[in-house]
Amino acid sequence: MSWITLGLRGGILTTRYPAKPDEMPGSYRGAFAGTDASAEDQERGAASCLSGAIVPGTCRATVDVTRCFQCGQCARTAPQAFRASPAFELAIAQDPIDSVRDRLRARARAFGRSVHLRHVDAGSDGSEEQELSAIFNPFYDANRLGIFLTATPRHADILVVTGVVTKPMRAPLLRTYEAMPEPKTVIALGTSACSGGIFAESNAVVGPVSSVLPVDVLIPGAPPSPLSILHGLWVALDRAPLQGASA
Amino acid sequence: MLSSVERALDDGARLAWIFADRIDGATLLHYIVDNGEMRDITAHADGVVPTMAVRAASADWYEREISERFSVAFAGVLERRPLTREVPAEQLIRHQSPEVSTVLYGPVRSGIVESARWIVETAGEDFIDVYPSMFFKHRGLEERFVGTPLDLAPFVAEHVSGVTASSHVSAFCRAVECAMGITVPERARAARAVLVELERIHQHLDSLAKLADDGSLSVGAAATFAAKERIHRLLCDATGNRFARGTICIGGTRFDALGRLHDVCARDLDAAERHARAAIDGLAATQSLLDRLIGTGRLPKTTVEALGGVGPVARGSGVSCDVRTRDGYLFTPLRGEEALERNGDAVSRALVRIAEIQRSFQLVRNALDANPQGDHLARYDLVDGEAIARVESPPGELLYFVRIANGEIARVAIRSASYANWPLFVPSLPGNIFTDFSFIEHSFGASQAEVDR
Repeated sequence: MSWITLGLRGGILTTRYPAKPDEMPGSYRGAFAGTDASAEDQERGAASCLSGAIVPGTCRATVDVTRCFQCGQCARTAPQAFRASPAFELAIAQDPIDSVRDRLRARARAFGRSVHLRHVDAGSDGSEEQELSAIFNPFYDANRLGIFLTATPRHADILVVTGVVTKPMRAPLLRTYEAMPEPKTVIALGTSACSGGIFAESNAVVGPVSSVLPVDVLIPGAPPSPLSILHGLWVALDRAPLQGASA
Repeated sequence: MLSSVERALDDGARLAWIFADRIDGATLLHYIVDNGEMRDITAHADGVVPTMAVRAASADWYEREISERFSVAFAGVLERRPLTREVPAEQLIRHQSPEVSTVLYGPVRSGIVESARWIVETAGEDFIDVYPSMFFKHRGLEERFVGTPLDLAPFVAEHVSGVTASSHVSAFCRAVECAMGITVPERARAARAVLVELERIHQHLDSLAKLADDGSLSVGAAATFAAKERIHRLLCDATGNRFARGTICIGGTRFDALGRLHDVCARDLDAAERHARAAIDGLAATQSLLDRLIGTGRLPKTTVEALGGVGPVARGSGVSCDVRTRDGYLFTPLRGEEALERNGDAVSRALVRIAEIQRSFQLVRNALDANPQGDHLARYDLVDGEAIARVESPPGELLYFVRIANGEIARVAIRSASYANWPLFVPSLPGNIFTDFSFIEHSFGASQAEVDR
C-alpha cells in the first residue's frame, strides 16, 4: 500500500480541541481533590503521598496539583477522603501574569498567530519528551494551531522545560534562556519541572524550573497528556480560560 | 573471590554488571557474570582492586562509575577520563591535531530530545572518534529508594525511565519479591507481561517513527507515531495512565489490571495491531528509508559480545540475549526463536524491532487468552534479604538489585539496557558521516533518563 493510500484510508483523526471540547477516558487519573472526611482519613492519604502534595485541612485535605504525580495512592488508601477525576486542563498561569503575555500575544498576532517552541530537558524521566512530541502526531496536530518547534533559541517564543533541574543542567538551561529574544515565555512541563516532584529533596538537583528561571505557566502531570500540553500552551498564549489560577 | 570472576570470564562468560554496595562502612563489589545462568560473585573492595576491563571491555563504565561514586580505586584502568563527574569539556577532548576538529554536540540539542552530550572528533564529514559525555540528568534515583516505604517505592522505579515504567517497576518488584520470598499470583504475572509487551510495542514504534522522521519520510513517521498513540490510549483506558504508571506493585498489581486490559483489548487491540502493521510494513517497503539504514552504524558480533550489548542492538548483530526466552520469566516465556538479524547495521536493528512488535502482540494475546483467575495481589510480611531480578525491557536486559535490611530498603542498584548499550555507540560510528548520526542514535532506541538515573 502506498503512503498516500494509507494516509487517506486513515481518515481524519485529529481532535478539534481547544475549539471544541475533548476528554480523556473516564479512568484517567488526572486530578485529585479532597472530600469532606475525618482527620484520620486525611492523614492516611497524606502519609501515602510520596511527593508531599497533600495538606490535611479542617474539613477536607487540599491536593497541590503541581506536586501530584497522579499515582492515585491517596484515593486508594483513603477513598473516603480523596476523589480522582479525569480532568486534564491542569495548567496554571503563575502570578503575576504580567505584561509579558500581552506582548507575546501581540507578537503572535503580528506573525500570523504562530508561535515557536524551544525545548530543553533539564532532568526529565523521558516520558515528558515523548508526550510533547505527541502533540505533533495526527491525533493532536499542534501545527494546525500555529504551534511549531524551532531548533534554535534565537527563533523561540516559548521555552518548554521538562524535568527537575539537575545540577549539571542549570548552566545549559540558563544559556538557552539567555539566547532567546524578548519577550520570553517559560513553561515548566511535568510535575518534576513544576515542583521537583519526588526529587524535591534530592542532593543531585537544584530544584524546580522556577528556582532557576521565571516560569509563566506550569503544566503538571507525570507525564502531562498531550491534551494537557495543548491546554497549557493555550493558557500561555492567553487564549484559554484559566483553570485553578490563584485569584 | 576476584579469581572466580576472572575464571568465569576466561571461560567465556559475559560480564553483565558490576555494582557496589556499602554495608557498615565497608564497600562490597558485586560482579554479575552470565554463562547461561547468572551468578553474583561478591568481593570486598580492600585497597586497590584490579580492573576487569582487560578481560571484559564492558567493565569499563561500571568500574569508572564505582570509582567516582564509591571512591574505589581500580588498578590498570585503560580509560582515565571521568564518566559521571562534571568536568570542563576541555578535559575530555583527546585528539588535538590540525586536521581534526572537535564538536561539542549537546547537552541541549535541537528538537525534542533528552539531554546528553557527544564530544565528536571529526575531519570534515567523517567520524574519527566520539566520546559520550553524559550524566547531565543524574537525579539521584538509587538514593531516592533508600528508606522509601515498600508500598510507595514502585513509584520511584516508575520515575527511572518514564517511557519504560512498566519494565522498571516489574524488575524492581521482582527483585523485592525474590528477596522477601513473595509468590506473585498468576493473574498479576499475566497483567505484568501484557503491560511490558505493550510497552515494547510503543517504544519500538517510537524508535521506528524517529528513523522515518530522520529519513524525511513525513507520512511514514506520522502513521507510525499515530500507531504508537493508539497503544497509549489503550493503556490509559485500561490503567488510568498513558504509560500504565501506578499499576504494578510489590506482590502483584494495585487493582485487577488484567480484567481491565481484557475488556479494553477486546475492543481496541485488533485495530491497534492493524494500524501498527500497516505503518511498519510501509516502512519496511520504502527503499529510500532502507537505503539510509543499510550498512549504517555497523556493529560486528564480536564487538557486541566484548562490550556486553543487550536487546535489539545485540540481536541485530546476531547475539542471542532475549531474557524472555529464559524460564521463570514474567509469565509465559517466548516460545521459539528470538528475533535475530546478522548484519549488525541500523536496518538490522530496525528489522529486529519490526519482528518483535509482531511477537509482542502475540504475547499480549497469549496472556489475555490464558486469563488466569484468582487474586491480583499477594499479602506479604516484611523480611530482610537481597536479590537481583531481570526483565527484557524494550531496549534490552534490565537488571535491578535490591537489599532490604532492618525492614527498610537499604540499597537499590539499577543496570539499564541503555547503560549497557551506549558504549557500543562509539565503535558503530567510524566509517559513517555526520548526517548518519541521528539514524544510528535512533537505531539504538536508548533512554537517557535510565542511563543517568
